[in-house]
Amino acid sequence: MADRVRIDHCVTSIGLIAALSILPLVPPAGLSGQSALEIVDRVDRLMRGESSQARVSMEIVTENWSRSLDLEIWSLGTEYSLVRLLAPPREAGTATLMVAQEVWNYLPRVDRTIKVPPSLMMGSWMGSHFTNDDLVKEGRLIEDYDISIAFEGARDGVQVWEIELVPKPEAPIVWDKIVWQVRQADLLPTWARYYGEGDELERTMTFDGYRTFGGRLVPALLTVIPADKPRETTTVRYDELLFDIDLSPDFFSLRNLRTRR
Amino acid sequence: MTDSSIWWRIAWRNLWRNRRRTAITASALAFGFFVSVFMIGVADGIVDSMVEDGTRIVTGQIQVHDPGYRPERSLHSTLGGRDGVDVSAFLDRIGEVGGVTGAAPRVYGGGLLSSGEETVAAGFMGVDPLLEPGVSGILAAVTEGRAPRPGAREVAIGSEMARKLGVGAGAELVLVVPAADGSMGNDLYTVSGVFRTGLPGLDAFQAVVPIDVFQDLLALEPNRIHEIGIDLRSASAARDVATEMEVVLSSLGVEVAVEPWTVFRRELYEYVSMASAANSIIVFIVFAMAIFGVANTMLMATYERRREFAVVRALGGTPGSVARTVVFEGIVLGVVSLIAGALITAPVMMWVHAHPIDLSGFTDEIRAAGSVMRPLIQVAYSVKGPLISSVALLLTSLFAALYPAFRAVRVPPADALAGR
Repeated sequence: MADRVRIDHCVTSIGLIAALSILPLVPPAGLSGQSALEIVDRVDRLMRGESSQARVSMEIVTENWSRSLDLEIWSLGTEYSLVRLLAPPREAGTATLMVAQEVWNYLPRVDRTIKVPPSLMMGSWMGSHFTNDDLVKEGRLIEDYDISIAFEGARDGVQVWEIELVPKPEAPIVWDKIVWQVRQADLLPTWARYYGEGDELERTMTFDGYRTFGGRLVPALLTVIPADKPRETTTVRYDELLFDIDLSPDFFSLRNLRTRR
Repeated sequence: MTDSSIWWRIAWRNLWRNRRRTAITASALAFGFFVSVFMIGVADGIVDSMVEDGTRIVTGQIQVHDPGYRPERSLHSTLGGRDGVDVSAFLDRIGEVGGVTGAAPRVYGGGLLSSGEETVAAGFMGVDPLLEPGVSGILAAVTEGRAPRPGAREVAIGSEMARKLGVGAGAELVLVVPAADGSMGNDLYTVSGVFRTGLPGLDAFQAVVPIDVFQDLLALEPNRIHEIGIDLRSASAARDVATEMEVVLSSLGVEVAVEPWTVFRRELYEYVSMASAANSIIVFIVFAMAIFGVANTMLMATYERRREFAVVRALGGTPGSVARTVVFEGIVLGVVSLIAGALITAPVMMWVHAHPIDLSGFTDEIRAAGSVMRPLIQVAYSVKGPLISSVALLLTSLFAALYPAFRAVRVPPADALAGR
């Protein structure tokens, strides 16, 4: 369970930004005649080995409460990332470290670091509609998914590809299928739909607010809507985003998790 | 009336013409009755203790929830919704309902318990340490250390969980739960004790904390609780008491769901229903065996009296009167056996009821359908057991007489008298 979903990670998590930022570098014209596998493979290859630093605000709305978090996020390749809460003040300093398939949380109130057990990887991250598992990035898409183009043409006047990702039989992935809509012009995603057992839609992720960070056009606004609770959302907005910063794996250590402010 | 009483008298006298044979046949039936009543008593005893023990480990016998609480058990579905309820008013009203022996409020949450090196997923149960022992045995099951104190940041954990975390009483654990306001409630708790219920799910997954500190951690007001667990004098009354309680609680102006254990411990209820159905099989087998023995002796008795029946027929007796003699004989035999059976069964039942047979020297405790039992053979009194055994005994003696009666009617008078 802990190690699932690659596309999931790169679309949902911080790795997403790194992935998407590369997309415009790929000459779109060269891709037009290629297969879905080649498209995703290029994205996937280019995604790896990138580093980033971001300031993000996350709005979580549920049936029972809503709250807003300010986050600082660092990532390195597909293996490492670190998220620190800056606000609300009561929880400031709370941090999550992800290394390979493992997740640790640092709780400043009790000054303890806790490793998230495998049984809770599917649990919510900080009350949001992301799971701990969503935050864990690893591996390459093309190894876990059979990828095909489900649709090619105009949707609402925009030329898009709809790429269908179906997990290979042996892949440890909870989704039955993921469909990802990508604009042909700039290779930016517009939405991703996640299907569970029986091809039932479980959640939708929409991308919006395309803006340029460090010379790269990326969707700065990302919204997750669970299919069973359409009035609940988690919205992630990127306020600052830096690429190719100087980070080494040492940065993503348990010591750094608790001491860095 | 006089007409029929003479047939009864004839049947009675015939019965005692061969005392030894009648005594043996009656003993077989009486013993069958004893076995049947005793086995049903033991089965009922097992069922009763399964229910009593199974509901007293943790759930209670009646639970009061917000109507939307089960089956999702959302953190936000507290009694009375967001506004909460006057918990003590609820407890008072519940205490007034007949048959209630204890009631305790509970708050539930799911999260993490971490010792630092090891972290496990845990189900937390916030309880009132003073009231909870009146409903469940979870705090009494603490074998190492003690139960958590009210108002203290203390936690009692299951034995298997303690083993996984590698901690014992006195250790410090971090408790993390998603709170009602969306934040991550976290705090340091001291392990006050380790409990062992014998139920693997509880011992590996459950942690018990004082309700007040837990509500604080969950960002729930003190008047917001998920459940009131209730203990009754007798688990079998749970359905009736629940119905009455629903009426009593409706006067508090809060919509609640009052459910007996037969609803929230469905698997236990189904197990118990199945066990009760097995009682009928016991009775059937015991008397099915008896019926052939009784029929055999009665058949013998009618063969011996072939000449007698021939004389009755020769003198103008109807086939019906011959049949009646035999059938009445069977019924009288049944009644005699029943009286004898009752006389031997009653004292044994009373004795075993007072002194359950302890088998713990032979076997470990028994677990089934979410219940733990000590290996005791105890019998439960019931009206049903003796009643269906009595009916079965009388039917057995009646049916056992039918074939012999049929044979007696078929005796050809002339041939029988001629000794052919």
